[in-house]
Amino acid sequence: MKTLFLLASLLLLVAAPFFGQIDLSLTKLMQPQSMAHQVFMQIRLPRVLLAFLVGGILSLGGLVFQVVFRNPMSTPYTLGVASGATLFTAIAIIAGLGAYSPLFAFVGAMMTVLILFAVASRFGGYDPTALLLVGIALGFFYAAALMVMYALSTLQESYEILRFTMGSLDIVGFGQIGILAAAAALLLLMMRYYKNAFKALLVSYEFAFLQGIRVKKLSYTLLFGVSVAVGAAVSLTGPIGFVGLIIPHMLATLYRQSAEKLLMPSFFYGGVFLVLCDLIARSLADATLPIGVVTSFVGAPFFIYLLLRGRK
Amino acid sequence: MPLHITDYSDEILHNISFRLEAGSHLCILGANGAGKTTLAKVLCGLIDTKAVTIDGKLLHDLHGTARAKVVNYIPAKLEIFDTHMSVEELLALSHFDTALHIGDALERLQIAHLQEHPCRTLSSGESQLVLTASALLHNARYTLFDEPTANLDPMRMRTLFALLSDEHVLKSKIVITHNLELAFKLGFDILYLEEGRIRFYGSAERFFAQSQLDALYHGSVKNLGDHVVVSL
Repeated sequence: MKTLFLLASLLLLVAAPFFGQIDLSLTKLMQPQSMAHQVFMQIRLPRVLLAFLVGGILSLGGLVFQVVFRNPMSTPYTLGVASGATLFTAIAIIAGLGAYSPLFAFVGAMMTVLILFAVASRFGGYDPTALLLVGIALGFFYAAALMVMYALSTLQESYEILRFTMGSLDIVGFGQIGILAAAAALLLLMMRYYKNAFKALLVSYEFAFLQGIRVKKLSYTLLFGVSVAVGAAVSLTGPIGFVGLIIPHMLATLYRQSAEKLLMPSFFYGGVFLVLCDLIARSLADATLPIGVVTSFVGAPFFIYLLLRGRK
Repeated sequence: MPLHITDYSDEILHNISFRLEAGSHLCILGANGAGKTTLAKVLCGLIDTKAVTIDGKLLHDLHGTARAKVVNYIPAKLEIFDTHMSVEELLALSHFDTALHIGDALERLQIAHLQEHPCRTLSSGESQLVLTASALLHNARYTLFDEPTANLDPMRMRTLFALLSDEHVLKSKIVITHNLELAFKLGFDILYLEEGRIRFYGSAERFFAQSQLDALYHGSVKNLGDHVVVSL
């Protein structure tokens, strides 16, 4: 089963750039001056890479959040990172600075994280539930602020904001890929560095503490690292939902192994999932469907199926 | 390196002070809700305080492996978030005493067959034995056991008794229990808690004197010489 998934995934990754609204013939592809070659190198390839990196970051981020919060419903957006990014994108659009919106989005995401940790540092011990509640409260605040932005915006601006919230892999360039590749690499290195401590966290906070691990410091470091990487992803593509929830759960059902063995698979299959969803988005409709719509349309029924099967 | 707690109080415990010499052992007894587990959590640092010193150093100031090597606490129940983890993987996390192999620790508790099992398949008794194996592999200077026999069948209880009463196993053992027979046979010094206060701290011999038992248990515990029984 696992090998089958792996082979199918690799095949998908290799094939994905060859499909889309414009048919590419293989012979033309080899000619550097041809349109086909340009489309492949400038649009298709970066897009597949972008989808893979974003999917990987969201999925791995989801796994880490679910472990740190002891809550199967947490996603990389649980702490309000996506809402912060969305609000600041809206501000950028309304201020007429739409060209800088990714920068604004990243500032919004990071500001959220900093507010959250400033609040959390005032808690006595490590209290994930309180952190979660602060994140939720912050989310409501941002949602209200976003409504204010909508009220202040023109029709055109409202549409732009709405498009951002649906998620999109349209804006691609190798510069952005570079940023995300760096974010993904940092995230993976962080998990590699903390692998043993993370493993102790899989038992219980108390157990980890007794093995000499500084649970609070470790948890905050992990949440912070994930939030930075996710912030970078969200600011470029918008809040693409569901990947961070479904993939870790899917792998837990499929692998039946402890979470520290699912770190790399989570990243890989999260990437594959988003590449697949993007492929569907690009192939199905005349106008490309927003990617966030596809992830949820494809993901939700499959997720429910897996949950039902897992209960048997 | 003696373990020292000085005038500790919180919601549950009141004015707790005592000293345990390095290498000596202790049984903590007391009624339900007397504060035994809370005391254990204070002594191992899970409840943060500046009242506990080990060898003159504040436990509060010890971190990382340095703290782990000094004190360990084995809870009454194995709480594990990710139950896909195997017994061997779990034990590897507390494997500080590299002279002892995981297989040998399991063998010692007669559960070698569980090594590859995922933790989700363990019964409560088996998890308790796995936790005890983790204590051996951890081998801290002070190991606190919270109700180590609570879920064990009579045969397993003997295995565990043999282990706890072996002078060569672990440096200092602190055992919380309701099992008076176990405390009696171990013969460790006794600390008896009542409503969060230390009511008795002294030798087992003094504790199990019938007059002392009557004062604490109001006639419900009898010392028969080579056994202690609860008269129902």
